[in-house]
Amino acid sequence: MRDIEWLEPLIEPEPSQALKQYARQNLGVASSTLGFFASCPWVMRGMIDLLSTKRVHIDHDLTDLVALMVSRDNSCRYCYAASRMILRLLGMSEERIRRLEQDLEMAQLDARTKLALDFAARISRSNPSPTQADKKALLESGYSEGAILELAFSAAEHTYHNRISTFPALPPQLPERMANSRFLGLLRPILAIPFRRMRKKGQAEFLSDELKAGPYAYLVLALDGLPAARTLRKILDEAWASPHLSARAKALTFAVVARGLGSSHAEHEAFSLLAAEGLGKQKVEEILAHLGSPELDPGEAAMLPYARETIWYEPAAVQRRGREVQERLTTPQFLELIGIASLANMVCRLAILLDEP
Amino acid sequence: MQLSGPILGAAVLLSAVLGYLLWRSRAQLKRLESALDAKSSDLEHLQTSFSRFAPEEVVERVIASGISTHGERKEVTALFADLVGFTALSENTEPTVLVRILNGYFERMSRAITDHRGHVSTLIGDGILAFFGSLQPNPWQGNDAVHAALAMRRELVDYNRELEKEGLPKLSIGIGLHRGTGVAGLVGSRDLMQFAFVGRIVNLAARVQDLTRQYQLDILLTRAVQETLDPRFKLRELPATPVRGIAEPVVIFAAEGFES
Repeated sequence: MRDIEWLEPLIEPEPSQALKQYARQNLGVASSTLGFFASCPWVMRGMIDLLSTKRVHIDHDLTDLVALMVSRDNSCRYCYAASRMILRLLGMSEERIRRLEQDLEMAQLDARTKLALDFAARISRSNPSPTQADKKALLESGYSEGAILELAFSAAEHTYHNRISTFPALPPQLPERMANSRFLGLLRPILAIPFRRMRKKGQAEFLSDELKAGPYAYLVLALDGLPAARTLRKILDEAWASPHLSARAKALTFAVVARGLGSSHAEHEAFSLLAAEGLGKQKVEEILAHLGSPELDPGEAAMLPYARETIWYEPAAVQRRGREVQERLTTPQFLELIGIASLANMVCRLAILLDEP
Repeated sequence: MQLSGPILGAAVLLSAVLGYLLWRSRAQLKRLESALDAKSSDLEHLQTSFSRFAPEEVVERVIASGISTHGERKEVTALFADLVGFTALSENTEPTVLVRILNGYFERMSRAITDHRGHVSTLIGDGILAFFGSLQPNPWQGNDAVHAALAMRRELVDYNRELEKEGLPKLSIGIGLHRGTGVAGLVGSRDLMQFAFVGRIVNLAARVQDLTRQYQLDILLTRAVQETLDPRFKLRELPATPVRGIAEPVVIFAAEGFES
């Protein structure tokens, strides 16, 4: 992974006491990279919420593999190193991690795990997207409906982490160095405590009525019963409430990603959100057809082609593209765009599961 | 109980032999582990590199089960580019210089294509066959393909300036574009295999490219491409033209530019 081209960070970190405190409360540790999103904190809060969301049906041994596999697939040096660092923190030896990586590379996993990872890869790559046949194969191998949803959520979750780390080019040297530091080895017993607590299985949770409404409510409802539903609702609500980009720009970004991925449910929802913002179906179709229109303001005109670049990308290329867009936006707007595009990729990839009849 | 000298000696010898064998097998295990590490890293490299030439799923299928005959219908835009007057150039230019000219040309053209999300499928002599929408689904493939063609035109202007400075002959290209459905898969023999598209789409893009000579224009595209294009592209409709192998005359458009 270290030979993947990766630019210098596109933004400067700023002090962010509130974010650090939030991370300590939820994860037990606070990374210095939180400061990169200081002016648009919901993006990092979203990452922290996702990392601390409990699973009910699947084990963390499987989600660890999903994390490594998706991060490798997305060439996310930062997340790959961070995933390795967490495994080291949890007491896994370097040798054991290397064997895990070899198992992933050489496909030397048991058939059931391999099936789950193939499904997770289909969610994250969406090329082609998973089908009902893939789901049926998982059910037949003993995974429950809930486990399949959690597996899909885990894969989609890492598409979010990978993107918010890759697009601003967060420095991967930090987790890379930390994973091998003696300091980590010494403090491991203490640092691992919150991580171990986080990885305990959770219990079924159901959404209250007020959490059943909002952007992409249908998708959140499909996850109802899992702690993941509440997390996704919270992130979507915070993203929509954030003031840096308009609701119209956010919905347009979701529409572009949904169109690119061919996610019909997610695109339909974006159209509804845009209708509420006064943008009719025909106008949206015109905008989506060419990712440009006289209807768009200069900021939106720069954002939409960028949103398209976030679906499938090579790190350095998307980072260079980010630099161009950054010149037309304020820093909080640019960070919010990264967050919204990353969230759109997560949501639309998950939504594809519901597209199949 | 006292152990007699020979028994003690045998026990010491046996433990020494066992110790040596254990040490040797551990060393061997270590060597095997490093070899596995290296192979695993090589495989990761290969997988990443190959995913630029074929969809990840195809690459993984090859890794897991070898070359398969799996094919898939896909809607793509084909771009066929050819150097005009290459035969004369190849006959009048020193071979080493010719190869250098060609390599510089391919380098620039390939970059223009990949920068616009295209995938160079084959180099046929001086010709380039590229596809848009082949590695990943791409609803904006028509726009991408014409943007790539315009970028190739700009790149060639720059390259010609360089060639002129060296006193070398200038190059000119013809580009044909067509959109349609083709069958994608691993095609070839046991010795030479490539991820390719087969179907009428490729032939028609090549035939349209041939027409660039007739019209003395560099970029021509079919109605199937034009219908999906951003209205900001400046196009000029040409009379419907008979094309070899196609029953009806083909409506074609010349791409002049893009109003940004």
